[in-house]
Amino acid sequence: MTTDLFDGYAPDDFFDEVFTEDASVRPHYEDLVARLRSFTPTELARRERLRDAAFRSAGITFTVYGEDEGVERTFPMDLLPRIIPAAEWSEIEVGLIQRVTALNRFLDDLYVGERAAVRDGIVPAWLLSSSDGFRREAFGVPVPRGARCLVAGIDLVRDAEGTYRVLEDNVRNPSGISYVLENRAAMTRVLPNLFGSLRVRPVDDYGITLLDALRHVAPAAAGDPTVVLLTPGVHNSAYFEHAFLARQMGVELVEGRDLVVDEHVVYMRTTRGLQRVDVIYRRVDDAFLDPVVFRRDSMLGVPGLLAAARAGNVTLANAVGNGVADDKAVYAYVPDLIRYYLGEEPILPNCTTYLRWDDDQRKAVLDRLDQLVVKPVAESGGYGLCIGPAATDAELAKVAEQIEANPRNYIAQEVVSLSRHPTLVDDHLEGRHVDLRPFVLTGEKTTVIPGGLTRVALRRGSLVVNSSQGGGSKDTWVLRDDDAKVDDGDEVT
Amino acid sequence: MLSRHAEHLFWTGRYVERAADTARMLDVTYHGLLGEPVAEARRGWLDLLDVLHLGRQFADTHQLVDARTVSNFLVVDPTNPGAIVPCVHKARENARSVRELVSTELWESINNFWLELQVRDLARDLDQQPYELYGLVRRRCQEVAGTATETMPHDDGWRFLLLGSMLERAEMTCRLLNVRFAPFTEGEDELGFHQAVHVLKSASASEAFRRAHPAAMTLENVIEFLLMSPTFPRSVLFCLQSAETELLQLDAPGRLSRALRVLGRRRADLEFADVGELLAGDIHAFLDEVQNDVRRAAELVAVQFFRHAEEFAVFHSLETIA
Repeated sequence: MTTDLFDGYAPDDFFDEVFTEDASVRPHYEDLVARLRSFTPTELARRERLRDAAFRSAGITFTVYGEDEGVERTFPMDLLPRIIPAAEWSEIEVGLIQRVTALNRFLDDLYVGERAAVRDGIVPAWLLSSSDGFRREAFGVPVPRGARCLVAGIDLVRDAEGTYRVLEDNVRNPSGISYVLENRAAMTRVLPNLFGSLRVRPVDDYGITLLDALRHVAPAAAGDPTVVLLTPGVHNSAYFEHAFLARQMGVELVEGRDLVVDEHVVYMRTTRGLQRVDVIYRRVDDAFLDPVVFRRDSMLGVPGLLAAARAGNVTLANAVGNGVADDKAVYAYVPDLIRYYLGEEPILPNCTTYLRWDDDQRKAVLDRLDQLVVKPVAESGGYGLCIGPAATDAELAKVAEQIEANPRNYIAQEVVSLSRHPTLVDDHLEGRHVDLRPFVLTGEKTTVIPGGLTRVALRRGSLVVNSSQGGGSKDTWVLRDDDAKVDDGDEVT
Repeated sequence: MLSRHAEHLFWTGRYVERAADTARMLDVTYHGLLGEPVAEARRGWLDLLDVLHLGRQFADTHQLVDARTVSNFLVVDPTNPGAIVPCVHKARENARSVRELVSTELWESINNFWLELQVRDLARDLDQQPYELYGLVRRRCQEVAGTATETMPHDDGWRFLLLGSMLERAEMTCRLLNVRFAPFTEGEDELGFHQAVHVLKSASASEAFRRAHPAAMTLENVIEFLLMSPTFPRSVLFCLQSAETELLQLDAPGRLSRALRVLGRRRADLEFADVGELLAGDIHAFLDEVQNDVRRAAELVAVQFFRHAEEFAVFHSLETIA
């Protein structure tokens, strides 16, 4: 063999997904690493071109805001998959179901229940009502089965010891599932022989599972419910995903202007007249959903939609007002909410988080800003982050000022030295930080799609994996339970 | 299906057809006028702008009329909504808005077409090898149409796509006849072989015509063929028949919509018309009427399927009746 892809690869001081501390390959990666070693750089470069062509012609793109023209970009997928062994996954899975179950209970309790968690002092009322994601207008809007987070994306990271921790909860409109499915489709086409004897759990039944969950939350009166997906339109950064999911489910992809509310019933305009709609998987943010109650200038919404939902004539998924549960300050209370609602210890720990309205905590934090990550509580997509060790003195001073001015608006977390995964850089491999966003669906019961979206920070040393911040992704393989090896050539997907 | 989706598909069909027709006519005009004296060529290019209904828009650009300026205007000019590149762009935007209804193969053929136009040096193509570019546009449009037929379910969505392209094509062929034959029907000139072939080729009809009329390439024969051939897919009659067939399927059973009445009446008219009589009378007035009917039918389709101006009135009155 002339060159080895892994030559010069150094795990450094980070937890490496593939190599152990003494530089030997972890057992569940042995097969993959052996196969990769048989590829020449030229051959891999050829596969990369194949991948690019496949993604571009399929139009798998996302939109980057704030750049001029040519705003559609393909989402780069690294050719090396991430592998999660069965035993490890089953623990993650149980932890995710536990967490999402508690979040659903919390939201239902808050909006249509007796607000028991507030009454019993688990989480302060002022914290909830001051959250950007809190919606007074959602009081009394029912969701059948209490499935308020029908789709949840829970971001996980692994720390220096390899422990999975929850970085944040996304229970408004988590996106990224289309990349999970497209990445898998691309991998099976571009590098079929990498699968080898590994038995990878399939992900392509997501559309059916999602539709099934949506049908289960239809208003009781709807016999054979009509489900639609509501998108802000082609110019939205996630439009590709909206179209993709509508196609996978075989439901109409509607925009606000396609829907009309009459006497608290929602209809869509079709070529044969008006047709009643029972469930709306809406990918439009709360603020734009209904100009009657939210932003009046919204052209993306449907006047009267929330009233129709309150009347129980239509179900909105995810429910309105979920943002209060993925507020980064409320996040700090989720372990307590799990204990309160389920009487269980949290299986997946949070990252160590400091809240700023506590005077002692704030003082301690202000002294250590250069060692911490500071996040605005209501942002997502990696916007507004300040990573202490990488920030300049001026940036730190500015952040300190912002915290003093509005302590409610920020949290501080210990820097998690995210695990790294070998990633193809030009013709060799380098370690890059990764996280994992599994998708959790709640319909009749709560289930987790095997794996999820592994995001990778493509810039050397970067800890930010968001697609809007120069991140890429990896196909994520969860191995089957039996872990049994099969002969080459057997079906692998 | 959703009204908005139907409308997007309708326009996808129209724009693709318009791009193909424009390329076809540009191709024929460009090669037909090579070597003609300047004044003659100028008239040829003005005629083409007339056929495409873009004469005034071109005049607004205040450019000289010659092969280079008109070709540029009809192919790349972003201010000209009828130019090929903007048409393909709009076809792609429309298809993209109904991405989940369009088969992946169809989307890829439209998207790749668009990407291909993006990477080509179009100025150089127009300058040196327009033939290759026009051929490419024609083939890609055919690929789009063929992929639609072969990979989409032949349901309402596909019907709207087809309806759009048929109405566009009917209007184009009408205008082609109307403008190109004016000098001959008005008795100024005798129709020569080259002019006849020129018009036939603009509708990709020269071989089909020769087989139908091996002996005589007369004005009467050419007009009859392009206007009333029941089998040639670019004749006006054929387009109206296809549009009518699709519309009949799209309509709620039991009552004829206004669009269908307009189209059916005109179709019957053409089916039983006599070309000799038409030529004896004012054939241009007749062609204008046909064109108006096609346009009216398109408007009525929009009112019936895409806009719901009176939906609530209708809806509530139905409720009261029930």
